[in-house]
Amino acid sequence: MADDIRRWSDELARDPSSLVFLQLAEALRRRGQLELALKIAVRGLERHSHNGEAHDLLARICVDRGDLQRAFDEWDMVLRLTPSHVGAMKGLGYICYQEGRRDDAEKYLRMAAEHGGEPEVVAALENVRRSGPVHASTVSALEETHHASSDDPRRLFADLLGDHDQTALLLDAQGLVLAGIYVDSEAHDVSQEVGAELSGVSDEAQRASRHLDLGDWRSIVVETEVAVIAMLPAAADNIVMLAASRATPLGLVRRLSDRCVDRARGWLGGGGRA
Amino acid sequence: MKASPFTATLSALTRLRGVLASLVVYERDGIVVDSNLQVGQKGDRVAALAASLYRKARLSARAAGLGRASFMQLDSERGRICAAGHGDLVLVVVAEPSANVGLIRVEMLKAVEVLV
Repeated sequence: MADDIRRWSDELARDPSSLVFLQLAEALRRRGQLELALKIAVRGLERHSHNGEAHDLLARICVDRGDLQRAFDEWDMVLRLTPSHVGAMKGLGYICYQEGRRDDAEKYLRMAAEHGGEPEVVAALENVRRSGPVHASTVSALEETHHASSDDPRRLFADLLGDHDQTALLLDAQGLVLAGIYVDSEAHDVSQEVGAELSGVSDEAQRASRHLDLGDWRSIVVETEVAVIAMLPAAADNIVMLAASRATPLGLVRRLSDRCVDRARGWLGGGGRA
Repeated sequence: MKASPFTATLSALTRLRGVLASLVVYERDGIVVDSNLQVGQKGDRVAALAASLYRKARLSARAAGLGRASFMQLDSERGRICAAGHGDLVLVVVAEPSANVGLIRVEMLKAVEVLV
């Protein structure tokens, strides 16, 4: 982790407009260096004011610092930028509940549950509906969802991708999703379907490379009328699949794909923990 | 040998730096329609495998709701395969790893329009 922080700091020093500030500030937040994390997140937002993940990160830092009002404002901004952002819905539900605003808390938690929130969200929602005064188990469940968000496998690539027109999945050799999320234009989680459909392409790529004596395949990029899809082998027959809008430059797709592969290898090497 | 409607296009693609072969093939069965190969390239094998890969990528992308595929690029240790489809034909280029893939892609997307 210390090496990562040093590397990300160096990269940010070289290129102050880099999105690496997301990883750096998140790592510092996890280490409890909240003031430094805040400083880096705020500076990053000055350059990327429309980046929903950056506002989400700042909100989480603010919660950890006990600044609930600012966290509320940041998550509110996330939802304006990315209306289907489950993390922001959970965060807003958490703050509203902490402030005794049960109706608002229920509203946000219901939204999160409808957008595919984890079982903890549903449990917290049930508690909010049942409880009169603030209930300890509800606060606990909400805190759990808040703290769990950064360790959720579905968010493995979130800080790398930044903008909401890019998404990535880590698939196993059978095409099953290990991490990441793919949300369609109607905010439905279609990760399993997309992963299953596209995983066969890598088998075909491997076959072609082998029979044409081209060695191991390194990547396959498919451009469609709506998206650019890149697939790359990760460790042990797993595949990283990145999808980006057609507006994304191909060079950036390649760069993001490489970063996602690095992240996936680290995650797999750590036994599936971020 | 009589020139096909694709001969000039394929010849121009194979003149690009790092390009080893260019072919027009039927997507459905990988049969070669016309080709321009450097010495040592196995046209039939390239055609069959590239057409199969492009077909798989096109069908998978469509099934995943990602729309119609227009271009595909496979990067391997010792070479690259690029493919662009139009109708039932696919334009295929095999290139060295060091080839300028940006230029190849642009030229292929221009050239694919002649595949009618």
